[in-house]
Amino acid sequence: MRLRRADGEYRWFLIRTVPLRDEQGNILKWYGTSTDIEDRKRAEEALRETQGVLARVTRVTVVGQLTASIAHEVNQPLGAVVTNADAALRWLDGKRPNLNEAREALQRIIRDGNRASEVVARIRTLLKDGTPIKTEFNLGDAIAEIVALTEAEAQHRQISVQTRIESNLPRVTADRVQVQQVLMNLMINALDALEEVIDHSRGLTISARTDSPDSVRIAVQDTGIGVDRQQAERLFQPFFSTKPNGLGMGLAISRSIIEAHGGRLWMTANDGPGVTFQFDLPVENGGAT
Amino acid sequence: MKSAVKQSAPVVYVVDDDAAVCESLDSLIRSVGLRVETFSSAREFRRNELPEAPACLVLDVRMPGQSGLDLQRELAGEERTIPIVFITGHGDISMSVRAMKAGAFEFLTKPFQDQDLVDAIHQAIERDRATLRLRADLAELRRRYHSLSPREREVMGLVVQGRLNKQIAAELGTAQITVKIQRANVMKKMRTASVADLVRIAEKLEIEQPS
Repeated sequence: MRLRRADGEYRWFLIRTVPLRDEQGNILKWYGTSTDIEDRKRAEEALRETQGVLARVTRVTVVGQLTASIAHEVNQPLGAVVTNADAALRWLDGKRPNLNEAREALQRIIRDGNRASEVVARIRTLLKDGTPIKTEFNLGDAIAEIVALTEAEAQHRQISVQTRIESNLPRVTADRVQVQQVLMNLMINALDALEEVIDHSRGLTISARTDSPDSVRIAVQDTGIGVDRQQAERLFQPFFSTKPNGLGMGLAISRSIIEAHGGRLWMTANDGPGVTFQFDLPVENGGAT
Repeated sequence: MKSAVKQSAPVVYVVDDDAAVCESLDSLIRSVGLRVETFSSAREFRRNELPEAPACLVLDVRMPGQSGLDLQRELAGEERTIPIVFITGHGDISMSVRAMKAGAFEFLTKPFQDQDLVDAIHQAIERDRATLRLRADLAELRRRYHSLSPREREVMGLVVQGRLNKQIAAELGTAQITVKIQRANVMKKMRTASVADLVRIAEKLEIEQPS
């Protein structure tokens, strides 16, 4: 209940009332307490805001680590646009202008320009915060988009990325962007763990397969330096990071996202080098493609 | 000397993992009247046999799997080498230095002027044309040299050292007139008119000089 205090300030109060009854159960009088909970209320709000800010900072940090990769994803189609335009001019400027070739080059410009803006739109979505919107979508496509964004970064670090998506994977129902954020987070972690590897090959495998009739399992497996037992227990705790500049929120937020979807996110050590992070996503019944 | 092998139309190979980039380069290079073949990976390109026609390779530095620099290193070990024009979206200096040191013809960073690429391609093809001509000439000289008899090769070896017929005859223990005939045969079979020419040929063939 919000009340006006004597000094005119409106504050939140928690009002509790208990009746005093006689032996027959008749109410004799009321006891009441009125607790000023304004400060608690404010603290709760501040906490929610802070969590939101942290989640956002984490997303920005994660995307920030992919700057080179993203630039490459945008620059490839842009480069093609410029070259196509150069080609179109040359086809038109020749002694005998070749209109068909020029037209085809122009059509490619439209296609590649759209591709560049799609990449930008995808990044914006990945950075956006907002209430989760669950939709039914093709998981394979969503994974492919994230793999494409991290590809150049992986190549730069000499890491080979493999994708194993089960054919006929059922469509999942989840917040597509949030699932991509989790996946991107796990992939960045894996790339970091792999960068320190010098004595064996650097491999990263993203797989998705049907786990049960009502869920699919997504796994991010790396051959990185692994996680020691003590760290493993704290890995999902907020502000715990094994990276020198890590915020320590990535896995905590990822886990809360997956749990909000009714799934779980966990880590297991591989038989060989490295670790595997896995999470489940629910499938609507009869949602097979 | 005229080339024995007639060279056919030049061809430009483009290797880039991005299909859109490949298509745009294909169109641009064709627009200046050159033949183009595109490949999406180093491996795919390696399956293709290199032509006897003058050629050049337009190569993306960064590709999944085998990188452009890896491919360059691999091709350098081949007998038939072709000039490489590198293009890259984010080339740093050390990368371009590495490529150029390993014998790259040109290193272009995106965004590049189309004329720069076209010029580089033309120059690379001209260099390859010259290389092919030299190779063909050398092959022809070898063929001629192999048509000599063992004794004629001996005579040739001594002639290019500047020995006179008389000296050669003494060295080989034969008549001077025989040396004269053999020497004429060498000049005819090697299709050369002067000793100076013969010396140049011997240098090209790196014929071991009997000491």
